[in-house]
Amino acid sequence: MNTRKVALLLVVLLSLVLALPAQAQDEPVIKPLPCEEPGKLTMWVWDEAWAAIIGDSIEAWKAEYCPGAEVDLQVQPWGQYWDLLKTNAAGGELPDVFNMSQPFFFFYADNDVVLDLQPYWDEFGVDTSIWGSGLVGPYRWGEAGDLYAAPVNWDTIAIFYNKDLFDAASLAYPAADWTWDDFAEYAAALTDPEAGVWGAAVYAEYQAGYPNWIAATGETPVVDAARTDCTLDNPGSLEALNFLKGLLDAGYMPTVSEAGGASPDDAFNLFASGKLAMVAGGSWKLPTALAELTFNWDIVQLPKNPETGRSRSIVHAVGYVASARTANPDLAANLILYLASDEGQVFFAEGGAVAPANPSPAIQQMWIDSFGQTDVNIQAFVDATVDSQGVTVFDEIWDVMNTELVVKIFDLGMSVEDAVAETCVVINAELP
Amino acid sequence: MNPESRLPALAARALSWLGPTPLSRRKALWGLALIAPNTLGLFFFFGIPVLMAFSTSVQEWNAIKPPHFVGLDNFERLISDDKFAQALTNTLKLIGLTVPLEVLLALGVAVLLNLPLRGRNLLRTAYFLPVVTSTVAASVVWTSILQPRYGIVSRLLEPVGLGETKWLVEPGLVLIPIAAVAIWQRLGFDMIIFLAGLQSIPGVLYEAAVIDGAGRWERFRHVTLPMLSPTTFLVMVLAIINAFQIFDQVYIMTLRTVPGGVGGSATTLTYYLYRRAFTHSEFGYASAIALVLFALILAVTAFQLTVQRYWVYYESEEG
Amino acid sequence: MRLTLRRRAATAHDLPVPIVLLVYAILLAGALIMILPFLWMASTACKPPVELNKVPVTFLPENPVCGENLGLLYDTSPHFNRYLLNSAIVTIGRTLGQLVTCSLAAYGFARFKFPGRGLIFALCLALLMVPFQAILIPEFMLIRKLGWLNTFRALIVPGTFSAFALFLLRQAFLQIPVEIEEAAIIDGANPLRVLWYVTLPLSAPALAAFAVITVQAAWNDFLYPLVVSNSPDTRVVTIGIALLQGERRTPYNLLMMGSFLATVPMLVLFTALQRYFIAGIAMGGVKR
Repeated sequence: MNTRKVALLLVVLLSLVLALPAQAQDEPVIKPLPCEEPGKLTMWVWDEAWAAIIGDSIEAWKAEYCPGAEVDLQVQPWGQYWDLLKTNAAGGELPDVFNMSQPFFFFYADNDVVLDLQPYWDEFGVDTSIWGSGLVGPYRWGEAGDLYAAPVNWDTIAIFYNKDLFDAASLAYPAADWTWDDFAEYAAALTDPEAGVWGAAVYAEYQAGYPNWIAATGETPVVDAARTDCTLDNPGSLEALNFLKGLLDAGYMPTVSEAGGASPDDAFNLFASGKLAMVAGGSWKLPTALAELTFNWDIVQLPKNPETGRSRSIVHAVGYVASARTANPDLAANLILYLASDEGQVFFAEGGAVAPANPSPAIQQMWIDSFGQTDVNIQAFVDATVDSQGVTVFDEIWDVMNTELVVKIFDLGMSVEDAVAETCVVINAELP
Repeated sequence: MNPESRLPALAARALSWLGPTPLSRRKALWGLALIAPNTLGLFFFFGIPVLMAFSTSVQEWNAIKPPHFVGLDNFERLISDDKFAQALTNTLKLIGLTVPLEVLLALGVAVLLNLPLRGRNLLRTAYFLPVVTSTVAASVVWTSILQPRYGIVSRLLEPVGLGETKWLVEPGLVLIPIAAVAIWQRLGFDMIIFLAGLQSIPGVLYEAAVIDGAGRWERFRHVTLPMLSPTTFLVMVLAIINAFQIFDQVYIMTLRTVPGGVGGSATTLTYYLYRRAFTHSEFGYASAIALVLFALILAVTAFQLTVQRYWVYYESEEG
Repeated sequence: MRLTLRRRAATAHDLPVPIVLLVYAILLAGALIMILPFLWMASTACKPPVELNKVPVTFLPENPVCGENLGLLYDTSPHFNRYLLNSAIVTIGRTLGQLVTCSLAAYGFARFKFPGRGLIFALCLALLMVPFQAILIPEFMLIRKLGWLNTFRALIVPGTFSAFALFLLRQAFLQIPVEIEEAAIIDGANPLRVLWYVTLPLSAPALAAFAVITVQAAWNDFLYPLVVSNSPDTRVVTIGIALLQGERRTPYNLLMMGSFLATVPMLVLFTALQRYFIAGIAMGGVKR
């Protein structure tokens, strides 16, 4: 072949190869599209801070992609959100777009209240697997696994620890690959009954508590994904619960009464008061921690189970869904697309409090950077999204496994086997 | 001039149904006219929803899909439902724990605060405060006070060995703090009604009693209590109706531990029906519970209304 | 024509001092228990975030920041004053409405015989026997059918009717001797005039009790306004306070500052109405 032609070919090939990665980096993961026909939408959220961020997002959407559209964004108090949703659904007044939480999704999907967004994902060219099964798995419905929601954010769990207490006990800080045994040792060493300090508190509630430890054994916590069985009496669950109970009985963890309540927030308050060396906390605690903690602290991923070598966090994502009876399904889907897109999620990423669900690395980095200069290992939360456990529980069994099981084992002194047996009776009665 | 003689026969018969004499008929019409606005308003805005709710009790409805008729299935289920029985027992226990104490304490406080003591207005405001204090604040303070070992109550009870008692978690104990908070919250309300009742006792009666040589306690027993009986009746009836429906205290006191209590130990009938409706989407069943609850309250109130003639003294004959 | 009844207080002057001291001791101890949460509310309204979640609760802020928290409240909830105003509108509307409808009805039940009187009264009372949670959805559907969602009408009109006020006022009217009213009737007054000039003035304490309780109930109403009228224009202050709480955030300092602001009008009203709860009021002379 002609050497000049070969050289030319090589140059072309080389430039193509070099150009591709650059292009992949600039290409947004989810692209918004202009709406076909502007109209009116009502939208519900349950947090005023989120409403401010989403409001800005919507303004940008209207300016860029849907001029002439109107969105009536309403905030309903969190405590009554689900009651109001049911009341409005009963009265035929459901908002067009609204926030959804994974444990509640099943009821609305089962009763055809929410709009199947899969046709829209297909039309928009969005591959719904980009979000990861932890974020979107619980929002899938039907035999084909249609995705009914777009995730807004993600939350994972990690351990917050008090560096000053570690220093005082001459202990090295936990490494990212530490195990349950290391954790137990630290908890023992850091407990100081005279000073009224406990080593750890990590069992409270479903999302931040014991199910994370069950998940590390490879067991799906509480209810299996197919919703057929209460898994609390399976070996993995018993192993995790007994491990935690052992720490409690040894005095390394406070009881629910000593913590002041069954919520991880109560444990976190103990941590903030310097009475706890290690606490399990969600990524949503970062702003509070950064603002209020008065000692040196850091974050490390949950410890790994010694046998499976895995450390798993429950992951949860709030979603945007649309009402199946909305008068403007296309418009609703278009808005949801925007809110899930890179452009739409920038507002969340910059806001900081909420980790955005959009999988683009740029967006995730934006979120980490939004906290400013800190020495704190925020990356631990992002790392926890890999090998995470999605939510499989639902509203009807919420209380019995969220707080009642915890109180029975970690306050009323019931044995794990007994408490789990009682809980499974209730859960099995509620399974379809 | 007899107005009725000019009216057609049917109207005359309708009118005569109102009463035997023209005067009584006019009074009856006045009575009906006076009660009309409130009664019609109540029946429209509350009677209709109540009837709708009761009619749901013979249906199965999850609020989304159309309801379908199931006859008496919900009521059959009630009979064998352990959780309903537990809610019923809890409610009855709460009534026993709250109503007598609440009424007696309110009466006592009202009487004491009716005396011309200095600082009386300030004290009355203090007793009224719980009625207007934020329930969030009440929940935080009472939960904290009851915390084992660290809370004020526990530290006070330590000498008698009750310092570690888990008031809000132990199934057998949780009703006590709930009853205490319920009394705490309602005392001011009952006190106000008692105070109003105490004002309406004519002073001449006390003067006459003093002239007759009655001491303080006798005046209380023979003037105050009987003249106060319509008010006492009112307070008792309202207190029982309220206690049957206790919900808020259960909600706020168990929110931070186990909502409804461990194993449903703090669940009352209203709380139970709320959970069945909004958590389990069983609005038909919840309506059946509401109907049974209503029947219970109605029976107890009807009983109270019938026996009132034995102890309640009305200054004026009715009507 | 206005009538008077002179009342004389039972005097405490003849009580022995130890008894008076005992009474004070009991009342003060009780009062302390009554106001404890309010004290926490007031002190937390002035706490900086760091002090909010101390275990166990503290009653005095180490570092009071009342002014800052007030500013923070209005930053977080810029329309808070609007919510207070809405609450005031709804409360006044409901209370005045109930004053009219319920005193008329109470008078009718107390002084007039008509067929079905007992039954109708019992039915009205029966409405108190159904918990609101059971009728939440039907109530919502009714308001929706009327087209009243997100209006002041929905907040005020149904609240102008009350079975409780009916019961309270009826009991009060029954405690007034009929003879006094009959005197007026003989003078040619129709029932409305009798009610206005005779019965109501004589029921002043009961009306004061009615006012306090009705105002308080309307002002603190939460679930019903939330369900029917939670648009920002018609939002009442109880909802405004609840919105300060997020799923994961409970900013007690803001919550308590808001609650404190919402409680002050109630206390002012109660103090103002205290004068009707004082025995020994001599009320005017006979006028024509």
